[in-house]
Amino acid sequence: MSAPAPALAEARRTVTVRLADAAIAITYLSLVFGFLLVFFPISFAQIIQNSWMKGNLTVAMMVITLSIDACLYVRIAYRLSANPTVLAALCLGSLPIIVAVGLSFCLQGAVDYTLSGDLPNLQARIGEEILAHTYLGLVAGIFLPFLALRLLQQLKAAKSNRETESPSRKTAPATS
Amino acid sequence: MADSMSLKWLLWISLYLILGIFVPWATSIAWAHQHNSNLRPRPKQLFERGELGLIGLVLGISVIWDLLQSQYMPQTRALGAVLLAVSGTMAGAVWIETYCRESNGVRLNPERAWRDSRNLAFLVFSMAAVIEILLDRFAKVAAS
Repeated sequence: MSAPAPALAEARRTVTVRLADAAIAITYLSLVFGFLLVFFPISFAQIIQNSWMKGNLTVAMMVITLSIDACLYVRIAYRLSANPTVLAALCLGSLPIIVAVGLSFCLQGAVDYTLSGDLPNLQARIGEEILAHTYLGLVAGIFLPFLALRLLQQLKAAKSNRETESPSRKTAPATS
Repeated sequence: MADSMSLKWLLWISLYLILGIFVPWATSIAWAHQHNSNLRPRPKQLFERGELGLIGLVLGISVIWDLLQSQYMPQTRALGAVLLAVSGTMAGAVWIETYCRESNGVRLNPERAWRDSRNLAFLVFSMAAVIEILLDRFAKVAAS
């Protein structure tokens, strides 16, 4: 008798995320960011600084990282023909926002620290701090959710392995 | 557009490419020639156990050191160093995992080890390039 279709559907895999998939997206993002920094050093930096001064930078970072994370996850799911999970949706939906908000506080701290010091060329220094935080924030917003997801999946797999091993260990003396 | 001095990081990165990837590959070819062997390994075969991840980790360490020496604010230095350390460690972990699997006789997929180590090494590599560009810009601002 052949296996019933619902059983096969239930056996459909869930998405197993690998950091290498996220790594390639961050590599492309870094290459684009580096290209813009080298070929448009003034205008690109100016756009980011103006965005920060208008208060749009954090929101823009959230939108960019959330979009990239979602596209990446859907692409992995499509490639593996696997089901997305709630755990992944939670991680990828919340962590980029948490990272962007956390880093905006961190940037504010760095700007305050710069202003409190008696340093020359303050305006340009702050501009460079904003530029660095923007890049690091984008990388963190993509990398950290996938890292968290990967570690959670490994923990879950290890737990289920232990659970499947322990009943067989308990039954082993009885059968021998 | 940036001046030619801003492109010095390109030379710095090519040093890693030459000494980390090309020289080991050329050495293997030279060894085969010296021992009259038919061995002609491609870079993929040479680094199929995840060794590229180790190169990525070493590259990450050198950039962390540069970042810590810079005049960026402590928050920025800490953030950059942590991100580089985490990505470098994950790249190095591919090599460790492959070694452990091979030593333990656990199922090993060289294709996956090669792909993971290559992608993560490129990640560290591109991050290192951008951070070096940012450091270069900041050094000019701090000097002026």
